[in-house]
Amino acid sequence: MYSSIPRRQALAVVPLVSAALLLGACGSAGDGSTKNEGGKEAGGLIAIITPSADNPFFKAEADAAKAKAESLGYQTSVASHDDDPNKQSELIDTAISRKAKAIILDNAGADASIGPVRKAKDAGIPVFLIDREINATGIATAQIVSNNAQGAQLAAESFVQAMSGKGSYVELVGKESDTNAGVRSKGFTDVISQYPDMKLVAKESANWDQQEAFTKMETILQKNRNIQGVIAGNDTMALGAVAALKAAGLNGKVVVVGFDGSPDAIAAIKAGEMHATALQPAVLGAETAVEQADKFIKTGSTGAPEKQSIDCELVTKDNADQFGVFGRK
Amino acid sequence: MTTQTTLPAKAGHDTATDSATKAHRMSLLNGLFELRAFIALAVLVVVFSLLSDSFLTVTNLITMTKHVAINAIIALGMLLVILKGGIDLSVGSVVGLSGVVAGELLQGLRLGFLDTIAYPPVWAVIVLCVAVGMLVGLVNGVLITRFRVAPFIATLGMLYVARGLALLISNGTTYPRLAGSPELGNTGFGFLGSGRPLGLPTSIWLMAILAAAVALVLIKSPFGRWLYATGGNDRAAELSGVPVRRVKTIVYVVAGGCAAVAGLIIASELTSAAPQAGETYELNAIAAVVIGGAALSGGRGTVRGTLVGAFVIGFLADGLVLLGVSTFWQILIKGAVIVLAVMLDQGQQRFQRRQGALASAAAATKTPSV
Repeated sequence: MYSSIPRRQALAVVPLVSAALLLGACGSAGDGSTKNEGGKEAGGLIAIITPSADNPFFKAEADAAKAKAESLGYQTSVASHDDDPNKQSELIDTAISRKAKAIILDNAGADASIGPVRKAKDAGIPVFLIDREINATGIATAQIVSNNAQGAQLAAESFVQAMSGKGSYVELVGKESDTNAGVRSKGFTDVISQYPDMKLVAKESANWDQQEAFTKMETILQKNRNIQGVIAGNDTMALGAVAALKAAGLNGKVVVVGFDGSPDAIAAIKAGEMHATALQPAVLGAETAVEQADKFIKTGSTGAPEKQSIDCELVTKDNADQFGVFGRK
Repeated sequence: MTTQTTLPAKAGHDTATDSATKAHRMSLLNGLFELRAFIALAVLVVVFSLLSDSFLTVTNLITMTKHVAINAIIALGMLLVILKGGIDLSVGSVVGLSGVVAGELLQGLRLGFLDTIAYPPVWAVIVLCVAVGMLVGLVNGVLITRFRVAPFIATLGMLYVARGLALLISNGTTYPRLAGSPELGNTGFGFLGSGRPLGLPTSIWLMAILAAAVALVLIKSPFGRWLYATGGNDRAAELSGVPVRRVKTIVYVVAGGCAAVAGLIIASELTSAAPQAGETYELNAIAAVVIGGAALSGGRGTVRGTLVGAFVIGFLADGLVLLGVSTFWQILIKGAVIVLAVMLDQGQQRFQRRQGALASAAAATKTPSV
């Protein structure tokens, strides 16, 4: 059944459906904060800038922000900076020269992005950061990020529980120069270290990459076949580990936990190949940012503090059906 | 220019050197240089075996060889390109593109005019993917031979084009579950990555077959001679009747095909295809070829050397993981090995030049040197 539906179309439908559902929800919850009578007086451009769209996470984020902004009556421009601070700066210049009303930005580096964000602010354009923070406050109008530490703890608690608090396990860490890799790894350790019978037999960075996780997992299995669990800093690496475990005939015998809540991981959880993942509500974050941008444009205030964090949600076999592309259905 | 720099490495048996004893001693040293990649590999195996008792086991050697195979297959294509004096930066993107095309085909090909979805059998998927890789190679070749674009630039351009195509086709997402389903008649894709004919993983067989084929072509066929000649001096080759343009185009086509095969293996191993698969793999392939003693200027290099180069890189990577060495050190050590290999290569070149000078001095009294 799965393979009889062309995947791209299936995927294309999900955000639409979820956006429609969320819109419905927002409509009913629009408790007069934005008296939006047709939204005609809004208008203007909202620039949406995210890292590369080859990651479904960023794509879901950009798609959600675009859909939300257009539903509120704005024009949008969507671009990706490919994690290149220089390209990000150019994109912000473009947004400034196009006199955008607001910029929704998933930035290209906590320090490298401070300058460009300030540049936009000085030009009178409010910047709403999503997914990643910058190392400065008072420049961006809002910084809405998912709570990586909380998500990592959720994932680790579920991991320990599934392993009954004992056994040897492997940790696959993300790109070590990425802040989130460190935060997640620390979150895992904080929880797991409370269980003395949990034994870390290998900790390897697989650079967020599936093929690298596969190769490294195969090698680790050469050293230690008696592994009961794998916890990974993102779902892509978790799925690489699943493939290696499958190749070694250990499929289903090892508890695999990931992070992000990607559609592929949710499918693997439903298939019993993965135990759990911590879903980052990218869609919710992007939509919240656009809503606050809309409010700021109309009233001059978001009514919320600058730093806001959105909690991650644990996805397991029990509730996997409730989740779509980086958000609840 | 001595014959040694333009022929497949057969050092130590240059007829002109036989008479000179001094040159003979140097040719021994030269032989050691030729074997440096083997020596490096032997050192790696010994060191890792001493440090980890799970290194030198049959299953681990098979697993590591399986990991090596992917890079080795790409490197074989890269070797041909480098022998020609070119470079192919697009192969990493072709790895991603080939996997994505396989993913798209296995998920069903939408035929709008018939209003149905076609599920091509796996053999057809494989043939089509390799064809796509070869097509990218053909574009490289045409750009370089017909439009006179420098290989570095042409293939750099195709690096982005092929990656962009992979992203466009997949819409940025990963194709999951490529195992196919029996009722659609497209199962069996997993064989490339997880099949074990005669007890060894398919990818190892593919590496062996491709290596044998490339070696045979290089040593026995006119194409091989043309290729070494073109890489040595393409103007001279052209004047002596070598179809230089055809030779140049073919090597890129083969390199694209090899990369596509690697892409298929990766997609099959993971039973999923990501558009960003294979990023920077071109650099690993170049490293394998260079460690294997090939000259980036063209005309010098062997299949044997390239395979050993790929094994050095692969065993080093896996060995460091077995030892639990930090990722940062893994990257640094890999870089150091590549630099060391090139330094030794320069040393060898100097030796050969001195040796060549000695040889011609010795030979000048008897017969004119080649």
